[in-house]
Amino acid sequence: MRRLILVAVGLLLLLTGCGGTSAPSARTALTIVVNAPFSRSPYLGRTIENGARLAAGEVNANGIRINGRTYDLRVTTMDTALSPARAVANMRRAVGQHAVAVVDEGTGIDAAWRIANGDGMPVGVVFEGGRQIIDPVTRPDVFRIAPSDHGIAFRLAEYLVPKGLKLALLHDDSDYGAAGERALTSAFSQNRSAVAIDETLPADALDFGPQVLRARRAHATGLLVWGRPATIAAVLTAARSAGWNVPVFTPPAGSDPFVRQQLADHPRWVDGLTFAGGRLTAEIGTAPFLTFQQKYESAFGVDRVGVTTSAGHPVIVPPESAMYAYDFVNLIAAALLRAASTGPAKVTTALNEVTTEGANGDQRAFNRHNHEGVVDDDIYFARFHDMIYAPVKDDPLSATLPTLPQTR
Amino acid sequence: MKRIGLALLVGLTAAASAQAAPRADYATLPSPLAPLSPAPPLGGGASASSEGFRHRIAATTRVDVSLDPTGAPFALAATQQLDVGVLGDYFFTIGAPVLDVEAAPGSASTPGLRASSILWTGFNPGHRTLIARITLNTTAAASLPLRIEVAPGRVTLVNTTAVVAGSYTADALVPPLLSYLAQLRRQIARGQSPTSGAAYVTSKPTATRLRVVAPLHVTGTVGGHHVDAIVEGRLVVRGRGPVRLTVTPASLDRLLSAPTAGRTGRQLLERVERAALTLARVRQYETFLGNPDPTGPSRTAYVYRSATPPAPIPTAIVAPKERDWATTIAVAAGLLLAAAGALFAWSKS
Repeated sequence: MRRLILVAVGLLLLLTGCGGTSAPSARTALTIVVNAPFSRSPYLGRTIENGARLAAGEVNANGIRINGRTYDLRVTTMDTALSPARAVANMRRAVGQHAVAVVDEGTGIDAAWRIANGDGMPVGVVFEGGRQIIDPVTRPDVFRIAPSDHGIAFRLAEYLVPKGLKLALLHDDSDYGAAGERALTSAFSQNRSAVAIDETLPADALDFGPQVLRARRAHATGLLVWGRPATIAAVLTAARSAGWNVPVFTPPAGSDPFVRQQLADHPRWVDGLTFAGGRLTAEIGTAPFLTFQQKYESAFGVDRVGVTTSAGHPVIVPPESAMYAYDFVNLIAAALLRAASTGPAKVTTALNEVTTEGANGDQRAFNRHNHEGVVDDDIYFARFHDMIYAPVKDDPLSATLPTLPQTR
Repeated sequence: MKRIGLALLVGLTAAASAQAAPRADYATLPSPLAPLSPAPPLGGGASASSEGFRHRIAATTRVDVSLDPTGAPFALAATQQLDVGVLGDYFFTIGAPVLDVEAAPGSASTPGLRASSILWTGFNPGHRTLIARITLNTTAAASLPLRIEVAPGRVTLVNTTAVVAGSYTADALVPPLLSYLAQLRRQIARGQSPTSGAAYVTSKPTATRLRVVAPLHVTGTVGGHHVDAIVEGRLVVRGRGPVRLTVTPASLDRLLSAPTAGRTGRQLLERVERAALTLARVRQYETFLGNPDPTGPSRTAYVYRSATPPAPIPTAIVAPKERDWATTIAVAAGLLLAAAGALFAWSKS
């Protein structure tokens, strides 16, 4: 009998203990949709999703307390397959599911934003850099945490024009290349004398020998290639196989693992390739980003490029796009708290008023006049050597940045 | 042996003089930096996010105050220039009741707008000039240093910076006070931030209150009358016509350099406390908009101009479309009669 009483008391104590904190299952879920090209660009889609999931997991550790209720963030994915039509359909589904926000790669955003805006739902673009994507007046619900094409092009002009190079501006006819052409035309409009030739390349071509030859005959002393990673790899191949050791500059696509994978048999051809990108570290050093990278790798594993250095060390990819998705989800959580509401329109308004510390240690913030989370000043330059890159030393910002470890 | 004797003599002399000196207690003086009221600076001031180092920033602000015919401000705008030194990232928040903001010519970057602040973010390659043109809510007029009252035949300028601050009085040792006063003079002359000081009091301090005013240097014109005066209270200008005045916090040389000879420690303590508190008050009006570098130099000029307030948008008066009961009954009766007539005509057809 005594034993029975003891067991009963023990069970009661156990039950009392369980009631002390709100169990995750008692929380209400808020959906964040990741709209990305999972089937056509699996690496990009997955890294964006992982960044969003990592942030959501951290937010959910304590939950978001609004008006006496605790909310969790739940991440769901939708595949755009790089199709604007599918991206628009996905946005309709996201609105139908009463999502609190969408983390978007950017495909089809020029049409999809209207659907989100009808509900006041915030959309965070974390890859596409087209200038027209962001306009706080006409598209108040669209935000971006990724370098803009405009910023990349102007920083490239700022970096390259003083060097006295005669540049061949080569851009492919993909959406990405066309957007780059517009940005480069604007950036070099005041310095046309720095441009030797301006050419559009077919994005699906395998050999750019003739175009590269034309650039050489135009006395170009530098190639600025704005296109898909395959285009960049093909231009490098055409130039180097012809024995032309011209310096090559690119937007962030130059750091895509695909470029190095394509040139894995000729690692020296990659040497000297210089790309512009959003900085991964802040003044305080590499610690914040490395902490983020460690958490990312613990949760999802290492993203390998598939090449090695000359010493045989496997090269890995720092999770850059994941960082942007991570930061956007954290800003959404901060906006939910500030709005004290889960209403998408109120969250959108609150996004203009909150600041969080980004994964790289920088401050991430939007405001009523600017929905760009990566300012032009944050664009740096890095140069490849032995399949890994390091910030250049001849640019004031880049010279302050440390090199991130890229081998395992 | 001689040396030991000498040392003993010096020691004894020091001990004797220490015994002769009155017992003095250490007492901190009012801070020449701590604000004496919540504003200015507006909106809680400015801040810089810390990334391990501090930017050196010189802030220069011009506040444009548009006055209606009675002298009341009806529009406020400010142009703030931040000259930022030190290579590295910056993220500055300038608090203010801001309605709108834009980059002014010469700015290396564009400011962001939030509900109650403006934002500057970017990378400074070594030196960067940031200039914002800010439209302020007229609630900020409550923090202006000068009020202007226009009456027939005269314009009165009223210094509104007066504030009562807590202080204390006591007998005090003179040399440390003179030394601190000289230190303040030096720091102000060099354009440095003043540092806090201390007094050595020889009697029990008694709490007291000091009325502190930031003296204002007012230049410009009221109608045809030229004005160039230091205003600490009220100044009446006889005349009429548009007001065009520039107001800057006045130099404190007079206060810091006034003769000290023959003053008792108690009198000198009051002088030093007043100097420190006045410096704090002047500093507040020099930073109408905050400076993200708390020890950086800040200057503000307030420009008062008579202007024509925008005409209020006329409210359209729309006549109500509702009919009165009489009209409604008449219409209904008419319709009924018409229907009856039509029915009668149909029955006869």
